[in-house]
Amino acid sequence: MKTYGTEPGAPTPVQVGISELEVSEGDDTLKSYGLGSCLAIALYDPDTEIGGLAHAMLPDGDEAENSDVKPGKYADTAIRALLRRMVERGASYTTVEAKIAGGSDMFEFESFGEGVGQRNITAAREELEKLGVPLVGEDIGGEHGRTVEFTPGTGVLVVKTATDNARGVTEL
Amino acid sequence: MKLDVNALGTFYRMAREGAGLAAGRLTHMTDAETRVGVTKLNFMRGQEIRRDFDDSVEKVGVRVKLTGAIEGYSIIVFEREGALRIVETLLDEAGDEFDEMTRSAATEVGHIMNSGFIDGWADVLEAVIDVSTPEFVEGQSAEPFFGDIDEAPDDDDLALLFQSQIETVGTEVGFSHYLFPKRESMSRLLEQLRSSDGIDYDKLDGFDRMAERGAEEVAKTATTLTGIDTSVEIRRLNFVSLEAIPEQVADETLVGVAFEFDGMPSGYLLFLFDEESAHEIVDAMVPMEVDEDGFGEMGTSAIKELGNIMASGFLDGWANVLDTTIDHSTPEFIHDIGAAAVDPVIIQLGESQDFAFVFDTVVVADGREFNCDVYAIPDEDDLERALNDLDVDRIEEAPTTAEFQELDNA
Repeated sequence: MKTYGTEPGAPTPVQVGISELEVSEGDDTLKSYGLGSCLAIALYDPDTEIGGLAHAMLPDGDEAENSDVKPGKYADTAIRALLRRMVERGASYTTVEAKIAGGSDMFEFESFGEGVGQRNITAAREELEKLGVPLVGEDIGGEHGRTVEFTPGTGVLVVKTATDNARGVTEL
Repeated sequence: MKLDVNALGTFYRMAREGAGLAAGRLTHMTDAETRVGVTKLNFMRGQEIRRDFDDSVEKVGVRVKLTGAIEGYSIIVFEREGALRIVETLLDEAGDEFDEMTRSAATEVGHIMNSGFIDGWADVLEAVIDVSTPEFVEGQSAEPFFGDIDEAPDDDDLALLFQSQIETVGTEVGFSHYLFPKRESMSRLLEQLRSSDGIDYDKLDGFDRMAERGAEEVAKTATTLTGIDTSVEIRRLNFVSLEAIPEQVADETLVGVAFEFDGMPSGYLLFLFDEESAHEIVDAMVPMEVDEDGFGEMGTSAIKELGNIMASGFLDGWANVLDTTIDHSTPEFIHDIGAAAVDPVIIQLGESQDFAFVFDTVVVADGREFNCDVYAIPDEDDLERALNDLDVDRIEEAPTTAEFQELDNA
C-alpha cells in the first residue's frame, strides 16, 4: 500500500509506481520506491526546469501490444512518452539530459537468463542514443535495491540503498 | 461455470475503474485528497470473509442491491471513527454517536462511492446496472453487513470478491469495498468475457486446497525448526495485475529468501520477514552468541536453511494436491527494500503475462516476533494447465506427506 508523509507544509513527493511515468517542474519532486531490476529513468531540461520520471519494468515496448496504453511499462516507450510530454509542457528537446538508476540483478535464477536488470539498462541506453539525449549520470546494476527521488528544478536524482554492503545515499 | 484470465482481467479492470471513480467523487464531495490503494480480486471462503470482519473494530457500511448486468450486493465499509470524521467535514459538526442527521450524511457518502464503483463497472462492461436505495448498517461482526444476504457465500463456498482500498491523504481514513455477485449473474458474465476454454469454477477448490496445504506446511516447518510456535494467520488467493504485487510489500528493509520452482506449475516463491523477526529466527536457530553486524554468515545461512525447508514443505503441499512433483532452486538470500526483492520476479513473468494469481500467506507466532509473508507466484499458463488436469474428487483425500529431507545446499 502506498503511504504519504503527513507533515504539514512539507510538499509530498508524487509517487511513480511500476509502469508509470510522471512529468513535473521546479521543486515538485517525483519518487519511486524499491527498484530492484526495474529502471528509473529521469529526463530534464535545465533551462525550463521541466522534467519527468519513469519506472520502467521491461525493455522493449515496440514488441509489445499494449505499449500505447502503458508506455511507462517499457524503457524505450517510456523515454519517448516522457520526452513528448515534457516538450508539450514547454521543454526544449535539444537541451534535455537523462539520468538512470536501478537495473540490479537481485537473483541468479536459471529462468532469468542474462539478467532482467541488464536488459532494461541496455534498452534505455540504446533509446537515449537513438534520440540524441545525453546520459549524464547513472547508478545501475549490482545486486541491491534502490529508492530514487528526482527534482526537475535542480536535475538532482537522489538514490538511496539499504543493504549491508551498499547502504547509503548517492546524488546524481 | 468456467473462468479464464481474460475474464478475470476484465473484472480487475472493473475494480480499478470503479475505485478510481469512487475516489474522485469522494474528493469532489469532501475536498479531501484521496487515493486508490491496492485493488485485488480475492477468492475467499465465506468463513474467511466472516473472520475478516470479526476484528472487534466498530464498522459502518452502506450497501445497495444491484440488478441488470451484475446482480448482487455492493458494500462500502469504513471504520466507524473514519466515517464520523468524514461526516464532520461535511456538516461541520459530529459527535461520537450517529444521530439521524450524521447517519444520513454517512449514507449519502457511502452511496455516492458505491455509485462510483458501479458506474465504473458499467463503463467497462458497456452495460446498464441498476441500483437500489442505500441501506446503512453498523456493527462489529459480519452478521449485520451480509448475514441476511442470500448471495453471500456460505462458510465453505468459495466466493470471488472485489476488494479495493481508498484512503484520504493526510487524514488516513480508509475504506474497503466488497462486491458479492449472484452466482448466476457471475456465471453469465464469465461466459460473455471468456476468450479461451478456461478453468472450471469448481476446480478453484483445488486452488484453495493448494493454498491451505502450502500454508500449513510452512507453519509446521517453522515451528519444528525454530521451536517458535507459529500458525497461519492469513491465507488468500489473489488475482492482481503484476504491478500491484510490489505495492503490497511493506516499504521497509526486509529479510527474505527467494526461490524459483519448476514443474507443473513453475514460478517463484518468496518468504519475507521484517528485520526483528529475522533476528529472532537467528537467535532461535543459532545456539551460540553471534557477534556479527547485520546477519553475517551464520545468520544468513540459518535463514536460508529455514527458507529452504519451508519451500520444500510448501511446494510438497502443492504437489500433493496436484498429484505431481515440483522442484525448487537453491535459496537466494535478500536483505533489502522489500519491493526490490519482488520486482525481478514480476519483470520475468511480465514478458508473457499481465496478471498473476498470488498465493498470499502470513504466518505469525504468539507472543514472539515471527512474521513471515509468503508470496507464491506461479506461471499463469502452467497453473491453468495444472488445474485443468486436477481431479476434483481426489482433492479431499490427498494426504500431506512432506518430509524433511537432507539438505545438499544449505
